[in-house]
Amino acid sequence: MKIILPDQSIQTLDRGSTPVENVLSDLGINSLEVIVSRNGKLVSEDTVVGADDEIRIIRIAHGG
Amino acid sequence: MCVEPAVIYLRYAKRHLCRAHLIEDIEQRVLSTVENKKLISTGDRIAVALSGGKDSTALLILLCRLLPALKDVSLVAITIDEGITSYREDTVHSAEDLTRRLGIEHHCISFTEQFGDPLDDLLKGRESQACSICGILRKKALNIGAHRVGATKLATGHNLDDEAQSVLMNVLRGDLPRLVRNSGNDSQSAFIQRIKPLAYISEKEIATYLILNDAWKNLPECPYTRYALRREVRTMLTTLEYRYPGTMLRLMESKRKIEYYCAGSMVCEPIRGCRECGDPCSGDICQVCLLRRSLGL
Repeated sequence: MKIILPDQSIQTLDRGSTPVENVLSDLGINSLEVIVSRNGKLVSEDTVVGADDEIRIIRIAHGG
Repeated sequence: MCVEPAVIYLRYAKRHLCRAHLIEDIEQRVLSTVENKKLISTGDRIAVALSGGKDSTALLILLCRLLPALKDVSLVAITIDEGITSYREDTVHSAEDLTRRLGIEHHCISFTEQFGDPLDDLLKGRESQACSICGILRKKALNIGAHRVGATKLATGHNLDDEAQSVLMNVLRGDLPRLVRNSGNDSQSAFIQRIKPLAYISEKEIATYLILNDAWKNLPECPYTRYALRREVRTMLTTLEYRYPGTMLRLMESKRKIEYYCAGSMVCEPIRGCRECGDPCSGDICQVCLLRRSLGL
């Protein structure tokens, strides 16, 4: 699956169907610090994503 | 039973929510916080501290939507431009865009106007103290702004994560008076009462709310956060919240219980006028004047 990271760089993960939470865990990201979309739509962390999906990870910036 | 796809899983509540139900849930919880804690009264003029970042943006949007439920209440936004290069310019523009779009009166106050220099210059050689220096001056600037616009309350966008971090930081510093004083009963001070309507909404819920309302902007992070204790506490707490959902809410509950058991037994310094500027403070000289001295302003 294609992963667009918060810094806009792109990674390809060779993985079958798996929950978003596992994808984040593989990348060392805490799901509470990001928002994830699949093919342009927001999804919850237990949504199962597949090999053909495009996953975008948006980091929640801190500091007001 | 809703069949729409979930956009968020609230781990602490074990709930999946779709777009419409998340928006409804957040708006209802903010209204409940406002009503249960009596944060807003009839006739209030609320100054919203609008940095242009995600929390204050969400706060202004939420308060605008809740206005019909709040009798005879008006809103005005105040933005403080501290003068932080490559950071504040973007958020100030974002604040201007938002207030224009919502039709909210907007005032901007700069550190240069109030204190003679931008924060970047004031901090030269003192970067490790950035957050405490900025915090003291920003609080002063917000009070000036709130008085200037005739506000009766000052609303800030502090969210659940911020509040839980503050509880833990005050415990780590052994600062019980501040832990108790930081509560919603700021009205006891001579300053304009501060209110925090988002205190029970998590940072992730706020960010999701903004995306769902097409109000999310990818803004930079303040460059000075790397010096802050808060940054380390945030990482630690987020990890704990992930492993033990509800940790942040339980910290807030601990604070509430400490406030309850301390009620009446805490001896606070009486509020008096600063010897130099006359502003209300608990010592002889207020923090702003002490800071002005140390910065040579």
